[in-house]
Amino acid sequence: MSEAVLNNIKTRRVVREMTGEPVAREQIEAILEAARWAPSGGNLRPNRYIVIQDAETRRLIRLVSPGMFQEAPVLILICTNWDVAAEHNLPPTDRALLIDVGTAAQTMMLAAHALGLASGPVTSYSKEAVKKILNLPESYSPEMFICIGHRASTAQPGMRAWKKITWRDLTHWERFK
Amino acid sequence: MIDWANCAVKQTELHKAVSRGSTHMSENWVLTEEEAVELLALLITSARIQMEEPANYGPLRLLTATERLSGMIVERASEKSREFLQENVDRIPDMHMRMSDVDAYSAALDERCRAVAACLLRHSSLPEE
Ligand SMILES: Cc1cc2nc3c(=O)[nH]c(=O)nc-3n(C[C@H](O)[C@H](O)[C@H](O)COP(=O)(O)O)c2cc1C
Repeated sequence: MSEAVLNNIKTRRVVREMTGEPVAREQIEAILEAARWAPSGGNLRPNRYIVIQDAETRRLIRLVSPGMFQEAPVLILICTNWDVAAEHNLPPTDRALLIDVGTAAQTMMLAAHALGLASGPVTSYSKEAVKKILNLPESYSPEMFICIGHRASTAQPGMRAWKKITWRDLTHWERFK
Repeated sequence: MIDWANCAVKQTELHKAVSRGSTHMSENWVLTEEEAVELLALLITSARIQMEEPANYGPLRLLTATERLSGMIVERASEKSREFLQENVDRIPDMHMRMSDVDAYSAALDERCRAVAACLLRHSSLPEE
């Protein structure tokens, strides 16, 4: 069992080319439920998820998102709800807010991968344009899209690493001398 | 009263005169208004996000615009441009993913620059060779 989880983590890759095949509603819901179980600073749950399947809305979003290469049948936008933060006296600069976005994003991408779906995160978009297109409430800040779909057989491997790294290169044990 | 119909004709003539004056390109219209606005969306939003992204993402955004514009006009373009445009559509996506190999990336960009220069020459009165 633990081997399967580790394998899921190691084999997930960002997919930037997807087919037009729709994603089943139950699968979308399973991904959203996984996000609900992601760790959240103070268990405050400031994230809100907006699911976008409408073709025209997705088209417009992509037009204002230079970093969105894939045409995904489902977009999940992770928003921070400032009202929740304010309720708990968290300033908008509190780093827990963005860390929460990160834990939810990775949890959703791993869930998608476990369901045999492709995924890719996108932060390269105009927040103002996205707010306008989605008519977001003032208190919602659009932090990251997770594109979900089915991998196209023509999908290229992702961005090459800047240099070859292993976990050892990223790790330091104990105190710095 | 303003004669709008005549005004529109004059604007078209003016546009043609301007484009004749500035380039020798054919006067075929290859881009619809909708496509032009889509390209503008990409350019404006790229400018905005570039304020916060690493400097080496700049070429990536310009290449994305190059690829999109090429894709929009390739079918309507003349023989003189078509091969260059099709190569942009075919090659640029792979270039994006190799940007960490700076030498290969620069070489691929140089190759595209030579290709655009050749395309310009084909549209000009100068010999291509
Ligand atoms: C904070 C963050 C923002 C990202 N933004 C984008 C993006 O806008 N567009 C994109 O194609 N990939 C984006 N990515 C994906 C990374 O490029 C990708 O994770 C990285 O190249 C490693 O690839 P892998 O996840 O397949 O191992 C983003 C990833 C993170 C963590």
